[in-house]
Amino acid sequence: MSNPALGLLVFAGLMVLTALVFWQRRGIVARVLRIVRTTERVRIEDALKHLYKGEYYQTPRSIESLAGAIHVSRVQAADLLGRLVESGLARSDGEGTHLTETGREYALRIIRTHRLWERYLADETSVAPVDWHDEAEVREHTLSPPEVERLAARMGLPLFDPHGDPIPTAAGHLPPVTGVALSALTPGDEGTIVHLEDEPREVYERIVTEGLTPLTRVRILSNGAEGVRFLADGRELTLGSVVAAQVTVERRPETTAHVASATLADLRSGEAATVVRISSACQGRQRRRLLDLGLVAGTVVTAELDSPWHDPIGYRIRGALIALRRQQAATVYVDRDPAAVH
Amino acid sequence: MTSASSLIRTGPAKGEGSLGQIGLRRAPSDYLVALAGNPNTGKSTVFNSLTGLRQHTGNWPGKTVTRAEGTYEHAGRRVQLVDLPGTYSLQAASTDEEVARDFVLFGRPDVTVIVVDATRLERNLNLVLQVLEITDRAVVCLNLMDEARRRGIAVDAGALAAELNVPVVATAARHGEGLPALLAAIDGVATGAVRPRPLRVQAFHPDIDEAVETCTAQLTDVWPALPSPRWVALRLLSGDERIEAAVRDGALGGLAADSTGLGAGADARARLLEDALGMRWRLAPTFHDALIEGIYAHAHAIAERCVVDGPRRLKVDLDPALDRMVTSRWLGFPLMLAVLAVVFWITIAGANVPSRLLAHLLIDTVHPALAGVAAMIGTPAWLSGLTLDGVYLATAWVVSVMLPPMAIFFPLFTLLEDSGYLPRVAFNLDPVFRRCGAHGKQALTMCMGFGCNAAGVVATRVIDSPRERLIAIITNTFSLCNGRWPTQILVASIFIGAIVPANLAGLASASAVVGIAVLGIGMMFLSSWFLSRTLLRGEASTFSLELPPYRPPRVLQTLYASLIDRTLIVLWRAIVFAAPAGAVIWLSANIHVGGPSLAEHAVTWLNPFGLLVGLNGVILVAYLVAIPANEIVVPTILMLTVLALGDAGVGRGAGVMFELDSARAVGSLLTAGGWTLLTAVNLLLFSLLHNPCSTTIYTIYKETHSVRWTTVATAMPLLMGFVVCFLVAQVWRLLA
Repeated sequence: MSNPALGLLVFAGLMVLTALVFWQRRGIVARVLRIVRTTERVRIEDALKHLYKGEYYQTPRSIESLAGAIHVSRVQAADLLGRLVESGLARSDGEGTHLTETGREYALRIIRTHRLWERYLADETSVAPVDWHDEAEVREHTLSPPEVERLAARMGLPLFDPHGDPIPTAAGHLPPVTGVALSALTPGDEGTIVHLEDEPREVYERIVTEGLTPLTRVRILSNGAEGVRFLADGRELTLGSVVAAQVTVERRPETTAHVASATLADLRSGEAATVVRISSACQGRQRRRLLDLGLVAGTVVTAELDSPWHDPIGYRIRGALIALRRQQAATVYVDRDPAAVH
Repeated sequence: MTSASSLIRTGPAKGEGSLGQIGLRRAPSDYLVALAGNPNTGKSTVFNSLTGLRQHTGNWPGKTVTRAEGTYEHAGRRVQLVDLPGTYSLQAASTDEEVARDFVLFGRPDVTVIVVDATRLERNLNLVLQVLEITDRAVVCLNLMDEARRRGIAVDAGALAAELNVPVVATAARHGEGLPALLAAIDGVATGAVRPRPLRVQAFHPDIDEAVETCTAQLTDVWPALPSPRWVALRLLSGDERIEAAVRDGALGGLAADSTGLGAGADARARLLEDALGMRWRLAPTFHDALIEGIYAHAHAIAERCVVDGPRRLKVDLDPALDRMVTSRWLGFPLMLAVLAVVFWITIAGANVPSRLLAHLLIDTVHPALAGVAAMIGTPAWLSGLTLDGVYLATAWVVSVMLPPMAIFFPLFTLLEDSGYLPRVAFNLDPVFRRCGAHGKQALTMCMGFGCNAAGVVATRVIDSPRERLIAIITNTFSLCNGRWPTQILVASIFIGAIVPANLAGLASASAVVGIAVLGIGMMFLSSWFLSRTLLRGEASTFSLELPPYRPPRVLQTLYASLIDRTLIVLWRAIVFAAPAGAVIWLSANIHVGGPSLAEHAVTWLNPFGLLVGLNGVILVAYLVAIPANEIVVPTILMLTVLALGDAGVGRGAGVMFELDSARAVGSLLTAGGWTLLTAVNLLLFSLLHNPCSTTIYTIYKETHSVRWTTVATAMPLLMGFVVCFLVAQVWRLLA
């Protein structure tokens, strides 16, 4: 019989080794996969995307910006641009590097795949919002055009990604950009968030933590050195101007007529309220489910049944008693006075 | 034939081709009727009342959604009735909804009956209006009128019929009230005597209406005879890929009953699609919300006009009081444990006698008799050994151990389910499961697993969120199923009972078994937590839990349904797997290679590893060959031990499973086979933590359609079992 202490030691060693190899994102397998996947083609596709976004948002692009965006050295970035020109995807003139028609088509296809994947991750998976972009960055390079179309069909041919950006059509059509940066608005301005820039990740994380999503309605309170102070769906928030510059708002005054400040989760036991709408933070299956259960504008809901740990809560919705978790209830904006049906 | 008939059908065409398209075959019948409705509207009561015992259940092709089908005869005509899954909507947001919608759309039923809860008319009208968008041939069954009366709700069925413009029949299916009228209404629509021209929701949001208008005009330009262009326009604007494809390749023209052929050329169709896409850009992303809002606004308006009175406050309304009690902090959990304990007690106590009778009959009486017959007619020894000692004995063993507890446990469980109590249990326990990334309803499938893991896996269908359902499926094996209880009790009483004073032996062994079951629950939570954060991180997750009103369960119907649905199906699968395993067990003990039998070779080969993890070769081989059913593990262990010892004093010969009459005899045999207290403790652990039986593995594959998840569900518990046994063995030896 073997020595039990030795056995335990060997076992502990094996566990440590397994963790080192398979740890999510930091493990050896994850690192090796990342290196293997970053092929020449992936670099080229990322560079095309970078150039295209420069044209679309009319921001200047340079070797430095490319190097920063795709995490390579300046020499490699210059080399990469040279190869784009060689293969006819881009051309250089005195002002810089521009995409050719072929290059633009190629870039649009990659952007389409990226945004479809983000839509997929948001609707069909429980991957966290901050991870959508990084996950899609990997997956966008893995599909053939027919596979992309199958994905689109399966998702019900979506038009917008979860950050509010339009998804280019299969034919390469992309509507022009609308809206202005949140940081450029003046006090009293009202509008709807239409786009949240998901790069860089640190800034986007801040936006997600604040609970901002496309279709959130905003009204500017002040805009100065301390940042932008504004109401987002009735909550007061302040964002530094760097972060605020990453949020695009379309001025739509008529949509801000009604701003709710409470959610279903705020209701006391026995209290009734009228649904105003479901937050756009709730998407995909979950949203469709809530709508189908009858949580549409104008529905009167009563918090009826408390559970031993106060989560979930049973709500009376159009005659049926439905249990919702606190986190879901917090995505349904309501008016606490049932008389105030607008 | 009216030209305003639905897109899908205009005459009593039989729709064979369309049924084939969704993978169904049509039974010989005059009419095909679909039964749609929200969950908890008494839809299955209507179904059972109409079809009686002429029904069977199965799955929808390629889907793990239960399909019930039945037939009835009315006015000399034979009608095939298909029970669609209960859904809130037809938006195809879940598999259930997809199945229901595809059947109404492509299955072309002659009549679609929509069962509606009269006490919640407004909510139910959402589905009614969506069905009426697709088909003209509909009948509304206004069910639960008895409950409505009790609550003082008066619904004017005539007014509802006038609003919807389809036949409306008020029923109370529990008491058979209104069913003849329902049959007559179905017959009227099926034969074409009544031609409904149902209400179509016309107004949503001004922007949507405008887009629908434009798109409809274009569609009628391309296909002038298209029966329901508005509906097609709405689907196009919703991005329905199936409809878009039908427009693109011109197949839509073929759907129009008077067949306008392919209609206009590809150019016009392409332009139509392009314009529709342009409009989608402008309407999105609130289009879907506005659509549902519009339907609910209509539902609200109609319900306002048709519900003429109520609801009145009941003098004695038990529901809220009951709810407060079963969900209260102090009473809720003790009540839950008490109910569970009673269910298990009835199961174990009640199954004892029939199990022994069956064993006596099948194993002690029929087996020797058959062996006698075989000897008389001169069957060769290998043949009677293989068929009688192998196949027959394994099957008989599984049946006698498995059938009685399942036949008691499942109906009890179904009764609780129907009464409305179980959803409250899920409601109470949800926070614990939420923290592990699981769904409160997993509490129910876990309890079902204590009866049988295969049945528990099937029961996970009640969980409508993909990720949570997978977690429930994979972790179900941690519920100590009734095939493992006998092993646990036997081994615990022999070895654990022996280390304490005799008067405490019973208590000690019982606590050991309960401890193992509790450990299983702990492992279930642990692995749910682990899975939701690693392998299942990416699967979709939603939550909603309807708490239906309490209803007195229908005992006879439940007995019948749970016997058919759960007991017999699971038993059949077990037999299918047990029979070949019996053959394998017998063969492995009787085929000799260079002296010893295959089984002995395997035991010798696996023994070093078995000893390392605190078990032995015999146990590992037993679990390997007895994979079809945990019930035959102990008989196999005994047989193999005798084989390994070469002791002819006990047992019935190589490859013949047996049990001994007294626990003491088993104990001395096992001790002779080298068992120690450590072996026993590790066997208890390994019996909890090992791969599910092959019936369950097969069921998992059927439910997930995935080799990957089936592999995870099989390998994960086995790996955990080896690790736990190994650690226990090393620590034990270190301390000893």
